[in-house]
Amino acid sequence: MKKIWKFISSMRFAILLLIVLAAACSVGSLVTQGQTADWYARHYSQRAAAWIMALGLNDAFHSGWFIVITGFLCLNLTLCNLIRLPKLIRAAKADGRPENALRSEGDARAENVADPKAVFRALRMPAPVECRDAEGREALFSAKNGAGRWGAWVCHLGILMLILGFGLGQMTQRQYTVYGVPGQTRQIGDTPYCLTIDDFRVDTHEDGSAAQYTTDITVANTASAGPDGGSASVSVNHPAALAGMKFYQNSTGWAADIEILKDGALLQSDTLCAGEFLPVADRPQLVIMLDALYPDYAILPDVGPGTVSDRLNNPAYRYSIYYQREIVGQNVLTAGQTITVNEYEIRFVNPRPYTLIQIKVDHFTWLALLGGLVTLAGLALAFYVQPAKVWAVRSAEGGWTVFGQSRKGGALFRDRFTAAVEQNNRQSPGKE
Amino acid sequence: MLQVENTLFTLVMLICFASMILYFAFIAARRDKLARAAVALQAAGLALHTAALVCRGIAAGRLPLTNQYEFATSFAWGVSLVSLIFVLKFKFPVLGAFSAPVTFLIIGYAAMQSREVRELMPSLRSNWLAFHVSTAIIAYGAFGVSCVLGGIFLLRERMKARGFLDQHIPDREKLDVIGYRSVSLGLLFLTFTIITGAIWAERAWGSYWSWDPKETWSLVTWIVYAAYLHLRIRRGWRGRAAAIFAVVGFICVMFTYIGVNTLLPGVHSYA
Repeated sequence: MKKIWKFISSMRFAILLLIVLAAACSVGSLVTQGQTADWYARHYSQRAAAWIMALGLNDAFHSGWFIVITGFLCLNLTLCNLIRLPKLIRAAKADGRPENALRSEGDARAENVADPKAVFRALRMPAPVECRDAEGREALFSAKNGAGRWGAWVCHLGILMLILGFGLGQMTQRQYTVYGVPGQTRQIGDTPYCLTIDDFRVDTHEDGSAAQYTTDITVANTASAGPDGGSASVSVNHPAALAGMKFYQNSTGWAADIEILKDGALLQSDTLCAGEFLPVADRPQLVIMLDALYPDYAILPDVGPGTVSDRLNNPAYRYSIYYQREIVGQNVLTAGQTITVNEYEIRFVNPRPYTLIQIKVDHFTWLALLGGLVTLAGLALAFYVQPAKVWAVRSAEGGWTVFGQSRKGGALFRDRFTAAVEQNNRQSPGKE
Repeated sequence: MLQVENTLFTLVMLICFASMILYFAFIAARRDKLARAAVALQAAGLALHTAALVCRGIAAGRLPLTNQYEFATSFAWGVSLVSLIFVLKFKFPVLGAFSAPVTFLIIGYAAMQSREVRELMPSLRSNWLAFHVSTAIIAYGAFGVSCVLGGIFLLRERMKARGFLDQHIPDREKLDVIGYRSVSLGLLFLTFTIITGAIWAERAWGSYWSWDPKETWSLVTWIVYAAYLHLRIRRGWRGRAAAIFAVVGFICVMFTYIGVNTLLPGVHSYA
């Protein structure tokens, strides 16, 4: 058991997990996600579809094996940080004490240095403290950037917070969508709130392409309990927070009013967004569906019915008629045209864009964000705050021997050390 | 202003090519003077490249970081900048000789893209764009240099004779540390890119992480470089294994940049 725990907390296991996680993410991105077995059979092969479904690759990032890999990564990070914490605290305490350094040989060493304090300055070390080594010789000691030791630990902590925030968010978040045209009020899922679309505007660039979508909304609490709603403007990149929920401008589409006349008199009217349907009031087996709305209708080569722009120059409506769930008719109506089905006359009027608002409640976004920032701080500490120690000991003959140590600097620190000593020797050659 | 940018871009391509030839000549003729000329030319090219980007920014009325051409030319600028800094900081002109073809290839890729200035779609009209994409450029540039350094490390392993190149390439220990510095810079900026992208995605799409192919491959790249860092810490893996990971990491970067856009469309399809 001890061996298993040791392996789980080891760096070898961490590297293995990272490689497996990278491979899992790659596979998840290469296989189209969220499709059915039939879809995979059609697009890949029957055999591939069977494998994809059996391994859960159709929803790789939420599959059991992916969660297990991530769980092991969290366990490895936690154990690694717990094991390293006492060592780091001890190292931090020892950092300011010269005794340990004075006993060691360091990574770099130079003898007969005339002015050791100049070497400290050239290496941008803090002013050295004067002390004595174990043999009672005069010594100088300086240390800097001890915080850099904590870089990897802080980074691991940040990653843990990030995964935890993301995981908790995925488990507890609630998402709803509400769409419609100005004036419509819709219930927000299972919440006691309803959302009214007060206005919807599409700002365009000079070339006619969309520059911004803005929806003015009012959220009202239909129950006595819970916080009140309010009004706000929601646009792309500018979500609004109301009643503990966050509202995002998600997308837009086209809608129109449908009017059904019977024997020349208006029987019913409603607003349909593209993709919505309406059963006829006095014959519900008869259903009219607005499949698509073309704002600038044209027959496009190789495509068929389509739109040449997003401007309402020549609106047309593609509809389907169902009777007892069987399609009985499908066509495109241009402005002013009507459909006649038995005694019913059907027409579409008042085409206009509808707005789709996404609503989200995620109480752990802040934790994931904080985790990301902590990870960033950890990396900055690890890479750019490099702990270094420099010390000098005076021999009985009076000459100074200077030592340097940098855990991460390696060959580059040794180069800098040598350069600092050579500069010192050039500046005070007579004292050598 | 776009005409000026076009002219400057053509000049940058020519200078980049000339600088690459000078670097090659430095290695072939074994004359340090040629290296100094190549570095000077690279610096001049970088200055003109900066001017070209500024001109495009003025013409477009925004930061030029929103389509394939703009990102490719900025990516080449990033590789050239990081490479020049490393060449000067570590007095290592051979690095310039190996990174110049990478820069030239990316500029060539940029030249093949449409240079039309288009209006921005609503989701791209955000201040986060500047942070997200500019940090990606530095990250990609640093990873490009680390890949070149990894390649030089592997090449150095095969060099036996004490020749000209041997004298102009740092020893393996120093190469490994320089490569580490480059990956550190890249990973720090890639983390910045991912975090700023997540914040932006949360505001624009209502979800800070949705496993879009671009997001997923950025994470794969991040993980590969994290594995590189851990490999370096393990005794005996520093050097060769780390150099191989630096090269593999850059392949991931290129796939994230070009492969994902062309093979795995998602919400980042405009990038």
